[in-house]
Amino acid sequence: MLKRVLKYWNKPNHAAYLFVAPAFTVLLLFSLLPLIISFFISTLDVTTYFSNIKFIGIDNFIEAFHDKRFIRSFKTTGLFILFDVPVGMLFAMLVAALVSGTGLRDKFFRTVYILPIICSSTVVAIMWKLFLNPNVGWGVYFLERLGFPKLAIFSNRDLAIYGIIFISIWRGFGITCIILVAAMQGVAEDLYDAAVLDGAGKWAQFWSITVPGISSTLWFLFITRVVGSFQVFDLIYTITNGGPNHSTETVVSYIYSVAFNTDNRLGYATAMSQILFVIILAVSIIMYAKMISQEKEGGNGK
Amino acid sequence: MKKRKKRISPVAQALSVSCRAFTILFLILLVLLILAPVVWMFFSAFRPPDQIVEYPPRFFPKNYVIQNFRDVYKMIPVNKYILNSFIFSGSVTLGSTLLNSMAGYAFARMEFKGKNVLFMMFMASMMIPFQVIMIPLFMIVFYMGMLDTYRGLIIPQLAGVGGIFFLRSFFITLPAQLEEAGRLDGLTEFGIFFRIMLPLCKTALMTQAVLSFSGCWNNLLWPLLITSSNDKRMLANGIMYFVGQNTVNYGPAFAAGVISVLPLLILFVFGQKYFVNSIVSSGIKG
Repeated sequence: MLKRVLKYWNKPNHAAYLFVAPAFTVLLLFSLLPLIISFFISTLDVTTYFSNIKFIGIDNFIEAFHDKRFIRSFKTTGLFILFDVPVGMLFAMLVAALVSGTGLRDKFFRTVYILPIICSSTVVAIMWKLFLNPNVGWGVYFLERLGFPKLAIFSNRDLAIYGIIFISIWRGFGITCIILVAAMQGVAEDLYDAAVLDGAGKWAQFWSITVPGISSTLWFLFITRVVGSFQVFDLIYTITNGGPNHSTETVVSYIYSVAFNTDNRLGYATAMSQILFVIILAVSIIMYAKMISQEKEGGNGK
Repeated sequence: MKKRKKRISPVAQALSVSCRAFTILFLILLVLLILAPVVWMFFSAFRPPDQIVEYPPRFFPKNYVIQNFRDVYKMIPVNKYILNSFIFSGSVTLGSTLLNSMAGYAFARMEFKGKNVLFMMFMASMMIPFQVIMIPLFMIVFYMGMLDTYRGLIIPQLAGVGGIFFLRSFFITLPAQLEEAGRLDGLTEFGIFFRIMLPLCKTALMTQAVLSFSGCWNNLLWPLLITSSNDKRMLANGIMYFVGQNTVNYGPAFAAGVISVLPLLILFVFGQKYFVNSIVSSGIKG
């Protein structure tokens, strides 16, 4: 009997289920099931620890559209995306173009640029908040010597968000840069040889061969960066926690504080996260459609 | 595709000599910008308290003390947090690397009914932003009675679609005769996987493990969600104690930052290749 069971499960097309089952169970329970449940929670009035659950239909969604803080958090998130993604990517591309060689020097630069990935958001927050602290920060002192006014940037309502954007770019450009370098090194050499025969200079080669050659990577990075920026939370939470006066509160930090900090309103928070999800989905579909149509036009993408 | 070594990037070559000097200056300034706050934090961790608030601030301390580290230990149970971080990151790394490689292997090299449907489901779950499932996930863990436990922290993180795809793309490249050879030797399917396939994927597995470990070590939101007691807190959350609006204990804050970054710094120094691999693999489409 046991032998037959073993033999049954040892057939490749049966054993495959055993290979997939553990990972699938985890994903089912902790990824797909929560997604389904979230649709139900968003119609409930429910607090942490689940006392007094009431069904209230679409009231949560209606409330969200009238919630000034929610709308403001979208504006802040939009501002973050508007600066973080294009500036971060253009800067990373500029640097990538300069350090895409295989020599030791370029490798050194690339290694240093990705160093911030070892720092957790909390460490980044400690480091930068103190570096730019008007009392003890060497960074503020240095800027002052360069002629900048002495500012407590993270307690300034108008500037705090730009400080966070700067730190976000500081932290992420090296990663983007390394991905772009890998893409640049993967562009086929014979394309360059052909261009040389046509008499194209290095700059012309860069614009007419390298850039189109990495266009699919650029698109992919752009899409994942936009989607990621929609969900920005960690740096906000650790650096300003949405303050001062909610001026740096992004959608996810607002959702988090509604759910777990102040009101413990899980239903309302879930409804808001679903609105965010729909927007992210719509934006990604538009971007993917653009990418595909452009790749068809250009015909040059990998 | 011909591959020629290009020691210097083509764009850099295109620039005139003075331009090139300027570029290098720019790249070095960038290095300083990246390193300045990190290095300053390291030096400040050993700075005596009276030099921390002095004006004008100095980059390097005049003398070095370990007072700040002692203070950190007085304020928060650092060793407990470090242990927790290691338990969480270590278990998730081991578990998810195993589970992801098994699933990735099946998708890469085995035929079975429903493979495409399952594959689509895996793909779809990659599109779900964490924030959407954050609250239901919290409820599920609550109803399973795993809130504020190691199990509750670890089990939901044990599989990741990104890792499955990454390892799948690696298993696909291995030669097709491997399974046949294994079967001729009388190995079971699991034997083939563990004895033949896994050893061939060491680099990919290490990359996956490094990615998983550093992700867990620096994960902020997940432990924040699942744990509430001081007893189960991770280092990344525990040192939040030092970033409050009215922090006045600057010295210990630096020291806490150094303590929390040190394990990954060591990992980075010795496993730099894997960090780079994991970053590059995350940027490749499909």
